[in-house]
Amino acid sequence: MTTTALAATMRGGYKDYGFGDTAVRALDGINVDIARHEFTAIMGPSGSGKSTLLHTLAGLDRLTAGESSIADITITSLPEAKVTEVRRDHIGFVFQSFNLIPSLTAKENITLPLDISGKPVDKAWFDEIIGILGLGDRLTHLPAELSGGQQQRVAVARALVARPEIIFADEPSGNLDSRSGAELLGFMRRAVKEFGQTIVMVTHDPSAAAYADRILFLEDGQIVDEMREPNADKVLDRMKQMGH
Amino acid sequence: MFRLAYKSVKHNPKRLLLTAVAVALGVALVSATLTLTNALSSGFNSLFSEIYGGTDVIVEQVAEEQADGTGSGNEMFAAGESTFDAQDLAAIQAVDGVSGAYGGLQVTATVLAAGFEPTGDLMSSGGPPTQMFNWTGEPDVDRATLIDGAGPAADGEIVLDVDSAPSLGYEIGDSVTVATVDGVTELTLVGTVRFGESNSLQGAVLAYVTESEAHALTGEDGYQQISVLTEDGADNEAVATAINEVLPDGTRAITGEAKAAEQAAELDDILQYIDIFAIAFALIALFVGSYIIVNTFRIIVTQRTREFGLMRAIGVTGRQLRSMILLEAVVIAIVASTIGIIVGYLGALGMSALVEAFSGDLFGTVTLPPDALLWSYALGSLVTLVSALLPAIHASSISPMEALRESATESKKPLKMRNVVGGAITLLGLVGIFVGLYTGVADPYWYVGAGAMALIIGVTLLAAQVLVPLAFGLRDVLTRMFKIDGKLAANNIRREPRRSANTAAALMIGVMLLALVATFTESLKTVVTSQFTQINAELFVLDTQTGVVPQGAMDIITSADGVDYVSSLSINSVEFEGMPESLVAVEAETADAAYDYDNEPDFTELDGGVFIGPDIQDRGVEVGDQVTLTGDADTLTLEVTGLYNTAEDGSFWVEWSTAEQMYEEVGVVQGLVVLDEDADVDEVQADILEQLSAEYPLVALQQPDQLAALANTFIDLILGVISALLGAALIIAILGVANTLLLSVTERTREIGLLRAVGVRKSSIWRMITIESMVMAVFGTVLGMILGVGLGAALVRALEEFGFTTIAIPWIWLIIYTVGAAIAGVVAAIWPAWRASRMDILKAIATDG
Repeated sequence: MTTTALAATMRGGYKDYGFGDTAVRALDGINVDIARHEFTAIMGPSGSGKSTLLHTLAGLDRLTAGESSIADITITSLPEAKVTEVRRDHIGFVFQSFNLIPSLTAKENITLPLDISGKPVDKAWFDEIIGILGLGDRLTHLPAELSGGQQQRVAVARALVARPEIIFADEPSGNLDSRSGAELLGFMRRAVKEFGQTIVMVTHDPSAAAYADRILFLEDGQIVDEMREPNADKVLDRMKQMGH
Repeated sequence: MFRLAYKSVKHNPKRLLLTAVAVALGVALVSATLTLTNALSSGFNSLFSEIYGGTDVIVEQVAEEQADGTGSGNEMFAAGESTFDAQDLAAIQAVDGVSGAYGGLQVTATVLAAGFEPTGDLMSSGGPPTQMFNWTGEPDVDRATLIDGAGPAADGEIVLDVDSAPSLGYEIGDSVTVATVDGVTELTLVGTVRFGESNSLQGAVLAYVTESEAHALTGEDGYQQISVLTEDGADNEAVATAINEVLPDGTRAITGEAKAAEQAAELDDILQYIDIFAIAFALIALFVGSYIIVNTFRIIVTQRTREFGLMRAIGVTGRQLRSMILLEAVVIAIVASTIGIIVGYLGALGMSALVEAFSGDLFGTVTLPPDALLWSYALGSLVTLVSALLPAIHASSISPMEALRESATESKKPLKMRNVVGGAITLLGLVGIFVGLYTGVADPYWYVGAGAMALIIGVTLLAAQVLVPLAFGLRDVLTRMFKIDGKLAANNIRREPRRSANTAAALMIGVMLLALVATFTESLKTVVTSQFTQINAELFVLDTQTGVVPQGAMDIITSADGVDYVSSLSINSVEFEGMPESLVAVEAETADAAYDYDNEPDFTELDGGVFIGPDIQDRGVEVGDQVTLTGDADTLTLEVTGLYNTAEDGSFWVEWSTAEQMYEEVGVVQGLVVLDEDADVDEVQADILEQLSAEYPLVALQQPDQLAALANTFIDLILGVISALLGAALIIAILGVANTLLLSVTERTREIGLLRAVGVRKSSIWRMITIESMVMAVFGTVLGMILGVGLGAALVRALEEFGFTTIAIPWIWLIIYTVGAAIAGVVAAIWPAWRASRMDILKAIATDG
């Protein structure tokens, strides 16, 4: 499917909000490559632009200047309808909360991306994901009948089921207790290691970031540092330097 | 509190916009109607002042209550009997204070347009109605001023009003064709006149002839009315009183002013019925609107649960919350009613301008009458407040804990209570309708009306329960048809069954009434059509001018080639036991052969006696009894020899010769022409018309199927008018669908954002909302059609004795309604779908940071 080792890139990414005096520069010349089969975390203090970076990389929001691509498709020049198709066919999402459509069962939520694109469900793959995430007995339940941890696992399953080029996760464990959070992050890491999935995750929690292969530190809209093979202590130290 | 309410409305005007439009539409209907009838009233007021204002005292026959209902509908201008003679005129002339007395005579005649070709068609009579009087030369009495030429001075001369002469194609010196009861007369146009100041005749033709010509044309030698002018400075009231002294019984003198006021009051009575009729439709529209208001406030309260919880937490009392919401309702009511009044007034202006363009100035000055303001604000506020009451009470019971809850969705109360109450009310409604229609209880309309109302509310409540399994079943179908869009749409309907049911029910009410009227009119058409197929005669003879076919015309028809015989029928007023009833005279030997009457036995068995209709039978009169009947010539006591079984056709049925003993004149109201076996109907029809055209151009001669088609056209017209009046209610119901969807879309912002994030296209979102909208619209329509056809069938069944033998289901209309509902669903979805599809994904999925 892809010819390079990069799942997503951004070159000279700028993002401004507002005009004149109230203008805020959220991204200030971002250059980033997201390698395939890697778990990348984006960290930074509030207002550093980490969510904006995720949104623009994922095609949910548009850059003011610069370009970005997903699976070698430059999305910055595409019309909205095409960007939607890119999201549908190449991207999976896990949000902090409200990940699921309340009126659909867990199973229907998981297969939603395939239903949208009209693709058949790979039964073996589906069963494997369900098995790993331990959702086998929850498939017919509505989201309201699931615990927070189960809801997030359903969201991860949904992100995985279509085997997207890349999954974007925005504070996926932010609303969970520490045990459920650790469980969820563990699953995401397994997805990268065992199935070669690519994941980009925004978090401000050092222990969550420690599950990643690589951490990008963001401050005032710029990438100020990068860390490989992190652990929670190293991350915490680095964050303290940034004034946390 | 008021500030809070005001700010809340101001801050979120969009979600209240459609609610306000719904109220405004209903109110507009009220204000437009009242404005129009007010203008109509003032228009006729000035007409009456023109007619009677110039005359100081009017002497006339005392109007008898119209007894039999067989008179023409236009009593106000119809010619009466000539009661007064020259002696009366002289007596009045001699009364103190009288300066002049003028005998007045109105001629029943029609001025035919130049080159008029009779068609024998019932609908194309000579043209606009003609008002023809004798010319006195006294402007105050004639109510007209000579504009051109001269007044009629000799027999054979005529003047026309300035507008009609050119529009009928006549110039001074031309020969004018006038059709009267006895045939056609040619008169020479010698001048034109203007009626009053501006010749505003409401479309009628005004004509004057000399007094002796008027006498010749009517065959009378007296006067119907005497116009009196008094001496300068005389007290008209006193003169009228003095004149009354010398008048014969059954007549009176009244001042012109009082007469004008009397006529205006009579007209206002009629206009009042128009008001009531139109306001009834406005109330239906507002009732439908109330569904929307209830829904809007429910949804708003749900969406603001956290806000209200917070307010409760910081110490706002439940009562304060309730007043706040009711105040919001008041703000909406006032704004919406004001807009409605303005729109209604503008509508009335447009309407009057439109009417004026087509048929002259029917209306006086169009002003907004105070009662329009009063009614509009009263109804608008009442409906809004009552509708907001339940949601407001619900809001006041929100606990402070709600502020802390995560999601704001309506509480998932089970529908059990709603079902029980709904079932009970539905049952009650059905019982009410049954009692009203079939048990012969007094004032059945109240039972039927209240029953129908209960049925609507009951079904509304039950509809929520129906929707759940329906949406469940639809889910598979919709999923197969529209994939994930269909599935989500079905889910959404099921998610808030109360909301969906209320929305659909608003449409149900409008469609129910449409289907009810359509079923009734369809059945009526079947009855009418079958009546005309019961005729064994090939042609129908009717008169379009007076309702009585001239004898000369009957002679021509009877002796025409191809005509076997003509069976005539006459309808007259008769007095029975002190009450006016109708008496039908038939030609007994031929009647049953010409038409399949509902009589028992045949009319040949009348035997000089009388058959009685159902209303007389109901009074306990039986075959063998003697009845005493009084006509205008003689009173006869007759033996009841048979029965006539269809109600409203006639109370008494006698032989022609019997009627001739009772009445001075027995006119042919309707003739059934039976042809020779080998005669060609079209040929005979054309041939007879040719012979009639010279002398009797206003006699209609039509084949039964032509008449049936004509009657059906009328029925369709009634259906059209009622459908149009229900239009407001339907538009409001469609707005309701849009409104509910719009509020739901706001509520589902994050859900829609999520769908967009994972790659659902805008067009898919649009389709999802549209499917949801269509399902609600079609569901409401189907419910409405079931109720409407059911009620219509019940009504038809209850009217069986009036000849309603078959219940006809208006399939074509039902299909049109369904297709219309689907289209309306698509239209209603436009705004909500547009909003949903352009929703900012980032905002939708944004969490706390």
